[in-house]
Amino acid sequence: MKPSLHWPRTLISRLSLIFLVGLTLAQALSFGVQYYERYETAKNTMLGNLETDVSTSIAILDRLPAEERMSWLKQLDRRNYRYLLDEGSPGVALRDTPIAVTSIKEVIGKDYPMTVTDIPGPIKHFQVHLKLADGSPVTIDVRPSMVPLSPWLPVVLLGQLALMILCAWLAVRIAIRPLTRLAQAVENLDPNTHPVHLDEQGPTEVAHAAIAFNAMQARIAAYLKERMQLLAAISHDLQTPITRMKLRAELMDDCGDKDKLWNDLGEMEHLVREGVAYARSVHGATEESRRTDLDSFLDSLVFDYQDMGKDVQLSGKSNAVIHTRPHALRRVLVNLTDNALKFAGAAQLRVEPEEGDSLSVTVMDRGPGIAEEELARVIEPFYRVENSRNRSTGGTGLGLAIAQQLAQALGGTLTLRNREGGGLCAELRLPTRLS
Amino acid sequence: MEHVDHILIVDDDREIREMVGNYLKKNGLRTTVVADGRQMRSFLEATPVDLIVLDIMMPGDDGLVLCRDIRAGKHKATPVLMLTACNDETDRIIGLEMGADDYLVKPFAARELLARINAVLRRTRMLPPNLVVTETGRWLGFGRWRLDTSARHLLDEDGTMVALSGAEYRLLRVFLDHPQRVLNRDQLLNLTQGRDADLFDRSIDLLVSRLRQRLLDDAREPAYIKTVRSEGYVFSLPVQVLGAPA
Repeated sequence: MKPSLHWPRTLISRLSLIFLVGLTLAQALSFGVQYYERYETAKNTMLGNLETDVSTSIAILDRLPAEERMSWLKQLDRRNYRYLLDEGSPGVALRDTPIAVTSIKEVIGKDYPMTVTDIPGPIKHFQVHLKLADGSPVTIDVRPSMVPLSPWLPVVLLGQLALMILCAWLAVRIAIRPLTRLAQAVENLDPNTHPVHLDEQGPTEVAHAAIAFNAMQARIAAYLKERMQLLAAISHDLQTPITRMKLRAELMDDCGDKDKLWNDLGEMEHLVREGVAYARSVHGATEESRRTDLDSFLDSLVFDYQDMGKDVQLSGKSNAVIHTRPHALRRVLVNLTDNALKFAGAAQLRVEPEEGDSLSVTVMDRGPGIAEEELARVIEPFYRVENSRNRSTGGTGLGLAIAQQLAQALGGTLTLRNREGGGLCAELRLPTRLS
Repeated sequence: MEHVDHILIVDDDREIREMVGNYLKKNGLRTTVVADGRQMRSFLEATPVDLIVLDIMMPGDDGLVLCRDIRAGKHKATPVLMLTACNDETDRIIGLEMGADDYLVKPFAARELLARINAVLRRTRMLPPNLVVTETGRWLGFGRWRLDTSARHLLDEDGTMVALSGAEYRLLRVFLDHPQRVLNRDQLLNLTQGRDADLFDRSIDLLVSRLRQRLLDDAREPAYIKTVRSEGYVFSLPVQVLGAPA
C-alpha cells in the first residue's frame, strides 16, 4: 500500500500536530541560530590564536640551533596540531583549502614557502610542509576538530521536546474536553425523561456554552410540555360537548342521519381519547413499576381478545417475572395488536428471552405492511400511511406514537419492520428490570 | 306497588344531567338530577336513593371527595357509579378505591349507562352482605393469593402481579363471592356474565382450567377450585376481606 499523508480527522490530533510542529520548528530555529553564532565566535578566536601561535612556534624553531629543536617540540604541541622535524607523510593534493591553512599562509606564507597535503583517512588530517631558514624541513601536522558538544546537551534538548509534547497535549485536552462533553449532552438530549444539566463552571467560553445549552434544553422541554398541555386541554374540553352530542344523537328519532352522526361522533371521541392518551404517554414514567408475571400478563391479554372473538394467538414462553409498568405495557401491546387486527384481521404475539437482561415481545400480522421509506415516520404523531386501505379504516395516527412513547417510558425500544412473505412485525424490547 | 329504583344523578353540566335523567326515566327508573355536591348532600338528607351516578370532574368538591363522603356517611351502602372524563387506568382505580362500584368513561352512550346501572344494582343485591366491597375491602385473600378487586389482578406472597383476563377475573369473583358453596355450570355462567355484557362464549370448563393454571392449581388434585362430579365446582378455601397489603 502506498503510504499517504492525511490531514488527521480529529480536532485533538489536528491541534496537537499544529502545536507540536510549530513549537518544534521554533525551538530548532532558535537552537540553530545560537549554535551558528557560537560557532562563528569560537572559530574567530581559534584562528586568531592559531595565527599567533604558529608564527611564534615557527620563529622559535627557526632561531633555535638545529640540535636543540627536538627538545622544544613537546612544548609546542597543541591539541589539534603538532610540529614534526621531517618531510612528513606523503599525501595527496588538497581538494579544498581549510581556513586554518589560509590563516597559516597569511601569517608566515611570505617568509616560508609551503605546500599542503591531505592525509587520507576516516578523520580529516592534513600537513603543511615548509623549510626553515637553514633549509631543514618542518611539517605542521593538523587534525582539525570542532570544540566538542557537551554531553548533557542532547538530554536537555530531548527534555525540551518532551515538555513541549506534554504542554501541547494538555492544552489541547483542556480545549477539547468541554466540546466533547457538550456533544455528548446534545446526543443524549431528551428533555422529557433525562434532563442533562451541564456544569456551568470553567473558562468563560465553556461556561457560556454550558449556560446556552442548559437554557436551550429548558426551552425545548417547555415547548414540549406546552404542546402536550395544549393537546390535553383541547382533547379534554372536547369531551363534554361530545358527551352532550352523543346523548342528543342517541335520543333522536330514528332516521338515516342518526347513524351517520353517531359514527362521526364515535370517530371524534376516539380521536379525543387518543389525544389525551398521547399527551399522557409523554409522562408515562409516572406509573409505579411492579413485579409482573409476564406469561400470565400476555395470556390474559390474548384471552381477552379471544373472548371478544378476535383472532389473536400467543406463542413462546418467557418464564420471567419482570419489573415494569403494567398499564403502560398493556397499552403498548393493545395498540400494536389493534393495529394488526385493523390491517390484517389477525395478530400473532411471540415472547422470547434475549441476551442479557432483556426480552422481546413481537406483534406480527400478515397485512399489507408499510413501505420501507415510511417505517420510520409512522411512529410520529398524526402521521398516517398514505394508502387507501388505511384511510378507509380511519385511524387517528396516534396509536403507534403512543406505543412508542410508552415503550420509552418502559425503558424499552419499539421497532417496526416488514416481515418476509408480507405483513408487519412490531418488536418491543424490554428490560427485565426497570431502572 | 312494585319498587322503582331511584337514581340520583350528580353532574355539573345541565344538558348532560337532564338528558341522562330523561333517558333513564323513559326506561322505567325514577331519577333526580342535581348540579353539585352541596345539592347532593341536601337531597340525600331527606331522601335515600338506590344508586348515585357521580361525575368526577366538578367544581367544588369533586366526585372522588363526594364518593368518600358517601362511603363514610349513613348512605354507605348506596352503590355509586362514577363518570370519569379521562380514559385513564389510575383514575379508575382511584375511583374504585374511593368506594365506587363501577365507572363509565365520558363520552358514554345512554344505553350503556343504563346497562351498567342495572348490572350494579343486580350485583350489589346479590352479594352476601359480608362481602360487599367497601373502602377497606379492596383486597380479598385466599390461600397464598390476594385478589386486588380494583386493579383486577392477583398478587402472590412475594407481591408479584399475576394478571387475569376479564373472564377469568369475573369467574374468580363469583367463586370468591360464594366460597365453599357448590355452583353448577348454569349458575356460574349466569353470575359470570352478570357484570359486563362482553361477548362470552367460552365454556365454563375451559375457563375453570385456565383459572386453575393462573392460580398454579394442580388440575388433578386442585387445592382451590374442586370439581364436584355431575354437579359443578366449589371454591374450597375460606376467603378473607383484607386491608391494604403491608
